[in-house]
Amino acid sequence: MDALRAEGISKRYGEGDTLVRALSDVSLRLEAGTVVALLGPSGSGKSTLVKALGLVTLPDTGRIWMQDRLVVDNGRAVASLRELRRRHLGFVFQKPNLIPFMTARQNVAVAAEIGGEPDPFGRASELLRYLDVSHRERSLPATLSGGEQQRVSIARALANRPSIVLADEPTAALDKVRGRAVMELFRRVAHEQQAAVLVVTHDHRTLDLFDVRYELEDGYLRG
Amino acid sequence: MNLALLEMRRHIGRFVGTSVGVALLFTVVLAMAGIYGGLVDDATVLVRALRTDLWVVQKSTRGPFADISRLDPTLDQRVAGVSGVRVARAFTFQVIERPHGPRSLRFALVGLSWTEDRGRNLPIVSGRSLAQAHGELVADASLGLPIGSIVHLATEDFTIVGLTRQLLASSGDPVVFATTSDAQLITEDLPTDAVRTERERFAARLLLSDVGRTQPVLEDLVRDPRWKPPALASAPFSAILVNVADPSRLSDVRAAISRWPDVVAYSSGEEERFLLDGVVEKPRKQLLLFSIILVFTSSVLISALIYMMTLSKSHDIAVLKLIGAPVTRIAGMVLQQAWLIGIVGYAIAVAVGSQAFPHFPRRVVLTPWTIGGVGVLVLVVSTLASILGVIHALRIDPGRALEA
Repeated sequence: MDALRAEGISKRYGEGDTLVRALSDVSLRLEAGTVVALLGPSGSGKSTLVKALGLVTLPDTGRIWMQDRLVVDNGRAVASLRELRRRHLGFVFQKPNLIPFMTARQNVAVAAEIGGEPDPFGRASELLRYLDVSHRERSLPATLSGGEQQRVSIARALANRPSIVLADEPTAALDKVRGRAVMELFRRVAHEQQAAVLVVTHDHRTLDLFDVRYELEDGYLRG
Repeated sequence: MNLALLEMRRHIGRFVGTSVGVALLFTVVLAMAGIYGGLVDDATVLVRALRTDLWVVQKSTRGPFADISRLDPTLDQRVAGVSGVRVARAFTFQVIERPHGPRSLRFALVGLSWTEDRGRNLPIVSGRSLAQAHGELVADASLGLPIGSIVHLATEDFTIVGLTRQLLASSGDPVVFATTSDAQLITEDLPTDAVRTERERFAARLLLSDVGRTQPVLEDLVRDPRWKPPALASAPFSAILVNVADPSRLSDVRAAISRWPDVVAYSSGEEERFLLDGVVEKPRKQLLLFSIILVFTSSVLISALIYMMTLSKSHDIAVLKLIGAPVTRIAGMVLQQAWLIGIVGYAIAVAVGSQAFPHFPRRVVLTPWTIGGVGVLVLVVSTLASILGVIHALRIDPGRALEA
């Protein structure tokens, strides 16, 4: 079953001389249990595509299905996008974006709580253990290393048991070793949690870890 | 998980600093409300303390506090003869200032009708009521004279025999009780210059009259330094306080007295209303307007603080929205922080006020109703103040979380 399917996604910004075609007729599928790489140079539309697939920005045209349910039809939302994000999506950012006044455990627990987990703190502890950062669960983000912060951020993305994880250049702020470790972690998450993971990356050294690769150039997708 | 509390706990220094700033404003709001309460209480406490059913005052006036009332010195006997009157007491009232050692004493002197009224109904907290017709005073503790103090007034010595607490005139001056004859003795006592001036005026008036011109001995008499000018033959009373034998006959007694051409009778409630509507009306309105301005200022200040706090965590709010946090949770966080600042600020204000207000020159009355009422106002102000912050939080694009 496709965790997510998009057909004919287009997105434009501006008009007249300032018109930018960020996405042009993009179609793709994310299958459960696979890790998908989205490659492309800066300005090719990767972030716009992640925003559209993450139901943060509506495309101008095109359709999006989530677990075979139509959620965006011709650029219009046909379901509550906030609710869909809460139930089905997990996000990992280029920077960890942890909430600074909450501990690692609280950062994960709040996402679990929003996602409707009955025992959010239990779920948070479980995920932090799974990602080998349970020893820092009471630490504030500012006291964690870059790698630890990113692992807590991944734990937060998994807190609501998402069927789709969207990661926008999650290793950009990490060195080679830690970057590869994070990519391996995504692979593990995809296979063990049966989630579809889409990773936007520039790092060609880790491409062997992906099941599927897409390349975006000037808004056009090549599979 | 309460996000508002979590953030406050992590930034406790900033939160306490903000709350203290807000608390100072609320302390002033509370002081205004308390001074307002004090003004109203001071204006009416004497009327209540005298526990009378009717106030008989000069016709076309509103009584001894709101207006000058001069009554025939025999009126108390006339009123006592009215059917249904249990007791009629003469009453005098005048605010005076007299030197006392190195300082000056300013007080409202109330004359009580000896022997009918010895001040036994007064809220005396220490000492006793008047026990003799001359030379004794019951004073409010705020005058600063302990029991046994001797006060030299009108060439006589008076002893403080009893103390009341918070028994002030509408002007805020402490009330001192004496017998009516002592009160008249004190108030009629004039400084030397005033006596000389009065003597000259009296002699001048005398010389303008036939009697004065035809009988020079009278002028010699008037100019004799041993002679004290009779400002009046017998000093008038300010009011007659009437207690009826049967409360159900109050209106009959009132109607009977009100038929007389020279006086009018008011109930204690009416007398209180005259004080509030007349004597303290403008200060009350002034305080009320000042309080409104302060509440508005507090509202704007909290609003700006909450807006800045929300602005500083825009990115965190974007992250929360991205992961699907409901609108109520985001708005709730901002609102709860406004409430927390308001409630903690108000608690500090109440604590500071309860320590500081007793040292204010005017009485600040903080009743549970005042504290509760201002507390509710603080909640309303905090809620309104959070609106800008909530609007900003709700407008934050969750996509901001994805931006590097």
